[in-house]
Amino acid sequence: MLGKLITGLTTTQLEIIEGPPAGHIFLEGPAGCGKTTTGVERLARLLESGVRGDSLLVLVPQRALGKPYYDVLHTPGLAAGGLPDVVTIGGLARRMVELFWPLAAEKAGFAHPEAPPTFLTLETAQYYMAHLVRPKLAEGFFETVVIDRNRLYSQIIDNLNKAALNDFDHTEIGERLKSAWVGEISQLRVYDDAQQCANIFRQYCLEHNLLDFSLQVEIFYRLLWQAEPLCQQYLKRTYHHLIADNIEENPPVAHQILQDWLPDFDSALLIFDQQAGYRVFLGADPGQASELRRFCERQVLFSESFITNPSLKSLEEALQRVLQPEKNPALPASLETPGDPSLALSYSQARYYPQMLDDITDRIADLIAQGTPAGEIVVLAPFLSDSLRYSLTYRLEAAGIPARAYRPSRALRDEPATLCLLSLAAIAHPDWQMSPRKEDFTLTLLQALDGLDLVRARLLADSVYRLKEGKPVLESFAQLPASKRERITYRIGEVYDRLRDWLENAASGPVEPLDHFIARLFGELLSQPGFGFHADYKAAEVTANLIESVQKFRWVAGEPLQTEGIPLGREYLQMVQDGVIAATYVHSFQEVVAEAVFLSPAHTFLMQNRPVEYQFWLEIGSRNWFERISQPLTHPYVLSRRWEKGRSWTQSEEERTSRESMTHLVTGLIRRCRGQIHLGLSQLNEQGFESRGPLLHAFDRLLRNLPEIEGGPV
Amino acid sequence: MTTASFSPRLKQKEVLAFRRGRMGVSAVPGSGKTWTLSLLAANLLLENRVTEDQEVLVVTLTNSAVDNFVHRVDGFLKESGRKHILVPNYRVRTLHGLAHDIVRERPSLVGLAESFSIIDERAAAGIRSEVARAWLLTHPDELDEYLDPTLDESRAAWVLREKIPELLDEIALSFIRTAKDLRLTPEILRQRLDEIPFSLPLVEMGWNIYHDYQRALAYRGAVDFDDLIRLALIALNEDKELLQGLRNRWPYILEDEAQDSSQLQEQILTLLVGEDGNWVRVGDPNQAIYETFTTASPEHLRRFMASPFVQKGELPNSGRSTQSIIWLANRLVKWVMEEHPLADVRDALVSPPEIEPTPPGDPQPNPPDNPRGIHLIGTKFTAADEIVQVVKSLGKWLPDHPDHTVAILAPTNKRAFEFTDALKNHGLPYNDSLLRSSSSTRTTAGMLGNVLNYLANPDSASRLARALEVWQRTNEDDSQEKEANKQSLALVRKCRQVEDYLWPRHSYDWLEELELQSTNPPLYEHLESFRQIVRRWLGTVLLPIDQIVLTLSQDLFKTPTDLAIAHKLAVLLRQASELKPDWRLAELTQELAIIARNERRFLGFSEDDTGFDPERYRGVVVVATMHKAKGLEWDRVYLVSVNNYDFPTGMPYDQFISEKWYLQERVNLEAETRAQLTALFPERQIDTGRRDPRQWPEPGEATAGSRLDYIRERLRLLYVGITRARQELVITWNTGQKGNLQPAVPFLALSELWEEHLHEPAG
Repeated sequence: MLGKLITGLTTTQLEIIEGPPAGHIFLEGPAGCGKTTTGVERLARLLESGVRGDSLLVLVPQRALGKPYYDVLHTPGLAAGGLPDVVTIGGLARRMVELFWPLAAEKAGFAHPEAPPTFLTLETAQYYMAHLVRPKLAEGFFETVVIDRNRLYSQIIDNLNKAALNDFDHTEIGERLKSAWVGEISQLRVYDDAQQCANIFRQYCLEHNLLDFSLQVEIFYRLLWQAEPLCQQYLKRTYHHLIADNIEENPPVAHQILQDWLPDFDSALLIFDQQAGYRVFLGADPGQASELRRFCERQVLFSESFITNPSLKSLEEALQRVLQPEKNPALPASLETPGDPSLALSYSQARYYPQMLDDITDRIADLIAQGTPAGEIVVLAPFLSDSLRYSLTYRLEAAGIPARAYRPSRALRDEPATLCLLSLAAIAHPDWQMSPRKEDFTLTLLQALDGLDLVRARLLADSVYRLKEGKPVLESFAQLPASKRERITYRIGEVYDRLRDWLENAASGPVEPLDHFIARLFGELLSQPGFGFHADYKAAEVTANLIESVQKFRWVAGEPLQTEGIPLGREYLQMVQDGVIAATYVHSFQEVVAEAVFLSPAHTFLMQNRPVEYQFWLEIGSRNWFERISQPLTHPYVLSRRWEKGRSWTQSEEERTSRESMTHLVTGLIRRCRGQIHLGLSQLNEQGFESRGPLLHAFDRLLRNLPEIEGGPV
Repeated sequence: MTTASFSPRLKQKEVLAFRRGRMGVSAVPGSGKTWTLSLLAANLLLENRVTEDQEVLVVTLTNSAVDNFVHRVDGFLKESGRKHILVPNYRVRTLHGLAHDIVRERPSLVGLAESFSIIDERAAAGIRSEVARAWLLTHPDELDEYLDPTLDESRAAWVLREKIPELLDEIALSFIRTAKDLRLTPEILRQRLDEIPFSLPLVEMGWNIYHDYQRALAYRGAVDFDDLIRLALIALNEDKELLQGLRNRWPYILEDEAQDSSQLQEQILTLLVGEDGNWVRVGDPNQAIYETFTTASPEHLRRFMASPFVQKGELPNSGRSTQSIIWLANRLVKWVMEEHPLADVRDALVSPPEIEPTPPGDPQPNPPDNPRGIHLIGTKFTAADEIVQVVKSLGKWLPDHPDHTVAILAPTNKRAFEFTDALKNHGLPYNDSLLRSSSSTRTTAGMLGNVLNYLANPDSASRLARALEVWQRTNEDDSQEKEANKQSLALVRKCRQVEDYLWPRHSYDWLEELELQSTNPPLYEHLESFRQIVRRWLGTVLLPIDQIVLTLSQDLFKTPTDLAIAHKLAVLLRQASELKPDWRLAELTQELAIIARNERRFLGFSEDDTGFDPERYRGVVVVATMHKAKGLEWDRVYLVSVNNYDFPTGMPYDQFISEKWYLQERVNLEAETRAQLTALFPERQIDTGRRDPRQWPEPGEATAGSRLDYIRERLRLLYVGITRARQELVITWNTGQKGNLQPAVPFLALSELWEEHLHEPAG
């Protein structure tokens, strides 16, 4: 077993993997030099050597990064007994708060420490935030800021999370933001508003035993880890061995906990990716992570990349020189690395965006024709719009090339099956007075009745769907004139009547929770032969996700709504329609399909930690390669522990951090490439604008100095 | 190294010699200012006056001018063998484009989220209207006191219902625009209103509407075009480092059409230029015709040029017109400056420079003079007669001049369309594309719209036929196909039950029943292919709107421009549907039409729409407004409706479009409101030298002032009209719908002067 796993490892890797289960190692290096492989092999080795699985803690910054560890745990026969815990700091916090709730609840200021806590998801937190902030908006809060409501709510939540992850009081948020602000004065009031909303939300949570992510982290760190010896004892007794990967992506509280905890682990392997720290927006603090080095007896540096070839290395050097001229000698002075960058880079330039997509498709088809596996090709853009995703997948599939686009999350609202289920729910609950529009009912029928076409769906909807006193009513098929029945066909009419009868029965039956209703609608009706969800696995998956979302909503909001006499189902529908509940189903583990071209935002691809042969970079002119997403109510740097209070956030600060993060991003991508990078350029972007961001300028300088790089108009 | 193949005129050379500092250039119509400015930009680049990280920034007025500049500068650079690899070292922008670039540098600085959207004028008007209506509902009697007290009750009720909402829209537009030009947020304005010891009901009304309008925009996460400019200025004022960075990036700023520069444009460019930057402003103060409702004013350029620190340039030579036409244009200027009956408007037109013909040996010689080509027709026509006469004249002229260009230029769109109708009725060839919006965007959107319309109404045979028409247009190659297309359209229109064609039951298939397979196999194939296509289209209805549009466009479009426009429309519709989650296909199809009409300022797809070229329409009558004709020229030009309504002089019998008959003393309420607003902030006004900004306006003063502005602008419009003609010019007037209008005074004066001129001894 082990023999197979360790093929191709270096001596240093083997040394760490096979070392005794004792001592603390700080392993660092750039991407692609085998750090995670070492961590995973080390985990396997520890288990094989008889270390108890449940005494092992694997700490990762986000669940997706735990995937290689989960995979090894699923190797048959590897570990007997308890399995190691692969967790994030948030996951650990939640477990501890749940476990030690009685000890922390009162101290934290909860109004009902005797009652159990309710943990909020991002979605339900957003629901409550909307509930609390909406009246404030009517009072004139946030008047001078231009932002859509849902992003406004999420940024207030984000501020609370940042305070917790950086261990400062949430009451300092407004002051910190204000003191760093150099722009228009009216913005200062907006920060006051943001502070006030954060306070109201926190107060509401305390009064109702609700725990959002920020409260979970804050209670865990401040009240349990720091102040409650029982909690520390419990953790220290449970876990004896630690593997913490990608610690640069973790927030300060995680680092502080690791620092406190390290001496108590029998063995620890901390893995640090130099030049990463891509999650600064989410509170990552790579600087503090690197300081953990001092608390480990042994430091190991991996510097040899297994992935990059000499040409790519010299491309990396050349790019760094143009991206950070202040730190590097300017081109055209000769490169230190021996490779030829022109072998690693090519480009093509179109006038229009769709022309560029055609060109990229042709190039990918050529690569595949020459024998490159589709899975070895990725297409990257700083931001992947739905239109881009669709257009490119469409083209690739038309060319017979399997393609798969990364979908970070998909709002259930956008799933047609959701529309179908929720419309039927509204019809079965006429008292909600949430009648679907006729267009929606047409699409509902189209999906619900197997074999129905759109023309007949429209005819049927026109003929049977009525509103009486604001409530939806369905006529029976038999009541229609014969000519209509003929056109719609009797076969469809028969299935329609079954649907209608079922809905009528449900309407007259006892009231049941919405999730139960949907489950029954699916099980008893839609999944049956003759109905549209029969043998439709996609629809079944959407149904399951929807049920889960409603269920979570019911657990959290069910009681208060009942007290106020508001039907939960109606409230849920309303929230979905308003977009407050995106009903987002997050695919935390999106499987990489080995045999498909992968389309992804550049950052996401980086976080997958997966080298490939060919990378296509699109939208080089976009400023999104360079700048962080503008968030008028929050700020990743100012709300970090390192930020000196009272300092102003200036344009040069902005420039410097943006340039740094762009350099990290670009370097990270190059290090995840084995063969060649191709730039797909179009003079006008998707929206028809000319965009000339800093990355385009950088490549422009590079190409002026390295004219041997191949490319030109398509 | 400089571009060699052009030999500029002496005066052009003086402008082209610019290398440092500030320069103001007065240019006359047809003097080649775009050409000169493009060449200057190219020369600066070729001499490496900007580094790799810097750009020459060119700011101009319209999108088509942007394209025009890009093509010219690129042309000059290519000719000199200079290539850029990915990024050119120059940037051409309209003011809105520039403001967008600046705001995008750091949106959060001015309170914008990354994904902020820009709503177009149409959507802005919709919101403004909604907000104004809401105000009217809650303040039903507020405007009563301004109504003409002599109106009887039913008439007054009608005015309140029909006219007042329209008026309120106008006031709201001008109020909000002025407030933004003065950089007043609703908060700043509120504060000042609370400080003053008296009440200003009109400004209070404006404030209410402005406040609610801004709230409505913020709710949508959007800004309007005026905000964009205001915010750009705020960003530059607030963040010194951003400003410094941009100053470094743009060491040379070349500004075209500077006579239409607004207060904010001037402030933005002044900041960007800084103390050490280099700035060339080129314009023709006599062609400033975009001032209504804005702070745009030729005054900015005049004051700039008056500064002792500014180098002066002139481009007086124009090879466009005959000596006679040049004489008329120059004489109009002189008459206005010296003899206009209203002394206050004698500054409307200025000289020097006068238009001068090109010197001998110039590559653009003036056409040979032809005084007989000038027809200043004093005959008193009715509105209908004027059309008859002009059309008749064209009927005679066209057959003899198949290779010449000709235009009818009217003061308004409405009047222009009356001429196109008449031309159509008389079977004369005409082109009205200048009266319509950007053509390729409109066509693309129109085609998509027709198919989407069918998807929203899948059981409608007529809509299906429209979709078929669209599909056929993309596949029409030869006449045989045209015939098949006609037949199939006729058949589909008559298909009573669409489902029998698209998804036939076992027992009845409409297409098979036609028995075309044996009688007309190609037609059968055609309809069968369409059936397959429509099924695929109908299969997209469950997809998000952008995916529907992208799928359709793969079937409908072939050219890169069309596909790119379709892609952009898909993205915009998706944004719209995210903003309005309850919108379905029907609403989105409507939105598509609105986008196509309005979302043009940033559309980079104007290549096909670039600068209308009159030369492409030889032997065809181009009908346009005088405004739209700016920058263009024709061999023969008809200026019509030159009467005292469209070109008033301030005579007692003159009527003014913004002075409403139903208001007391015909007060210009829009102007009065705007004047009160500006008077509240004397410190923010520009000093035009005409009135003391600290002085509170007397009632009626603004109405009078607004008249003067209008009279001035209209004089310039007349000048623009005259200078469109190369060889022949015909001017006519009419008595208007009510028969009570007079010929415009400047027209009468010019006719007299022309007569005298003709009788002057030669030389």
